[in-house]
Amino acid sequence: MIITKNHIGGLIFLCLSIAYGYYAGQIPLLPGDEFEAFHARSLPFTLALLGTLFSIALLVTSRFDPKQKLRLGGHDFALVAQLLVLVMLFAVALDWLGFLVATVLFLIGGYWLLGVRSIKTLFIASVPFAVFLWFALSQLLDIYLAPGKFFSAIFGG
Amino acid sequence: MWDGIFTGLATAVMPFNLMMVVVGCFAGTFIGMLPGLGPISAVALMIPITYGLDPSSGIILMAGVYYGAVFGGSTSSILINAPGCASTVVTAFDGYPMAQQKQAGKALALAAYSSFTGGTIGAIILLFAAPALASVSLSFQSSDYFALMVMGLTAVAAFSGKGQVIKALMMTVFGLMIATVGVDVMSGTPRFTFGSVDLIDGVSFLLLAMATFALAEVVMTVLKGQHEEEEVQMDMAALGSMKLSKDEVKHVAPTIARSSVFGFLVGVLPGAGATIASFLAYGLERNLASAKEKLKFGKGALRGLAAPESANNAASTGSFVPLLTLGIPGSGTTAIMLGALIAYGIQPGPRLFIDNPDVFWSVIISMYFGNLVLLILNLPLIPYISRLLAIPRPILIPLILFFSITGVYLVSFNTFDIHMMVLITVVAIFLKLLDFPMAPMLLGFILGGIMEKNLSRALTISDGSFDFLWDRPLTLTIMLITIFLLVLPLLGLLRQKIYPPKGPEAALNEGEG
Repeated sequence: MIITKNHIGGLIFLCLSIAYGYYAGQIPLLPGDEFEAFHARSLPFTLALLGTLFSIALLVTSRFDPKQKLRLGGHDFALVAQLLVLVMLFAVALDWLGFLVATVLFLIGGYWLLGVRSIKTLFIASVPFAVFLWFALSQLLDIYLAPGKFFSAIFGG
Repeated sequence: MWDGIFTGLATAVMPFNLMMVVVGCFAGTFIGMLPGLGPISAVALMIPITYGLDPSSGIILMAGVYYGAVFGGSTSSILINAPGCASTVVTAFDGYPMAQQKQAGKALALAAYSSFTGGTIGAIILLFAAPALASVSLSFQSSDYFALMVMGLTAVAAFSGKGQVIKALMMTVFGLMIATVGVDVMSGTPRFTFGSVDLIDGVSFLLLAMATFALAEVVMTVLKGQHEEEEVQMDMAALGSMKLSKDEVKHVAPTIARSSVFGFLVGVLPGAGATIASFLAYGLERNLASAKEKLKFGKGALRGLAAPESANNAASTGSFVPLLTLGIPGSGTTAIMLGALIAYGIQPGPRLFIDNPDVFWSVIISMYFGNLVLLILNLPLIPYISRLLAIPRPILIPLILFFSITGVYLVSFNTFDIHMMVLITVVAIFLKLLDFPMAPMLLGFILGGIMEKNLSRALTISDGSFDFLWDRPLTLTIMLITIFLLVLPLLGLLRQKIYPPKGPEAALNEGEG
């Protein structure tokens, strides 16, 4: 038996709808709300029901067609994972190193991951861009960009 | 109405707003040219920039980006047979063969003239249709609104293509589910926050739009290995003449006129959008052509290029009708604009042209300027703008990633949002791999809050009874249309079984855009 994209999607949405319905039941109600025509749980319960119905409909109507099989070959998941980790590190760097340094590091990291190896290109395509953007945001548009906890701890402020 | 038009004209001709039209058209053309990034991604990338502008300027910029991206998509379709977005896939059918016959200049010029005419005719019809529809919809009650939103969400699913209807409905429900995260505005109780303070305000529209349409699209190009592809080397000397002869103009004029009106009407339908309009206009024109001319379609027929180009621009304009008058977006792109308007504190709908006439009219007037900018400025500059396509992808991709992330960060200054974006992007990539459409989810998310409010109001007024769905003739009519829309895909399936599709219509399975 071939498990197709529709079957995988249907099963995931079915689980999601059931979990959503369960948590909808945990939404606290105000006293007397249960007698109201519409309360905080009404829409979530309806959505859980609709989600379940559509998921079952997708599972029932999907054919076991080999063309619809989920094929993950040929996709560069490792590189995507590295890029997304880089994005998360950028978030951490924004807190600790501030906008300017975090931007330079993020861009250099991104170019490097995508195959740029020339040191000259890495710096030319990141440092002037980051400095220009930092200047435009903080000096021209007067947007406050925190210096980063690391620099605050060292230099104060 | 004339007062409004003058107010809009005064706002639209302000130097800053004119600059926004020009900037929007250029930015849109460039982003639209990049394969994989369409109007939705282009408009999503602009949202953070518009937050610092006043509502009129912001929406004018986004509208400029919208038609610029559609135009840019046509350019890459014609020059390199790589449509920037779904709505310009048909443009490549006859545009690229023309480019191969050393007539790229003529193809680009025809695409620009057709887009200009389509957009202009669309803007003129919009000028009269939008206020008329808005006046009618002033009598709408909460039950009608609820019914309209159900219709809008159903329409998006119904027009989402073969085999995609249930998936689109599931994605709509998923979007509505995400909209319920955060404090319930009516009772004040937290829902699905799991004790996290960061989720009390719910999921931000900007974050969701950027994660699903900007970040996820870019990451998908990396996933598919498109970043390793060689940059396109175009021989600009081989563009050829950009002039059309008198006979050629006479030949395509009726096609452009027909397709513009047709495209506008398709664009007005909530959920249909420019993609469906371009495919239908191409099919219509081929059916109208003589047997001899039919053979030319797909091999560089002028009519085959003019029809989808006029239709997709007219439909882009048409999709503003339900947005501006009913508050229901006609396409994924206008769904993002709806979110941006709501973020400005402006509620699109029948009262928009009374409460915010400057926004309402200036958007309509600026559309005309936008089309003019595309024709006068963009067309002669195409050989130069196309060179931007030569920027190496390994440099371009991190920059687009950076703009997507900082766009969200610079609005909230909360790094939690970046982590949230990564999480949503992972989910979006997985859903894309499973062929789930993203536009219905965003539409469900945007309309979720308003729909819940109207449903709550209607149910309270009718004392908990669902009679409100058929008590008023208007509500009943809208609900009947909704049921018809739900049945429509089944009828389409039945028709396909009896008459199997032939030719390019068989490729019509994309509804986003």
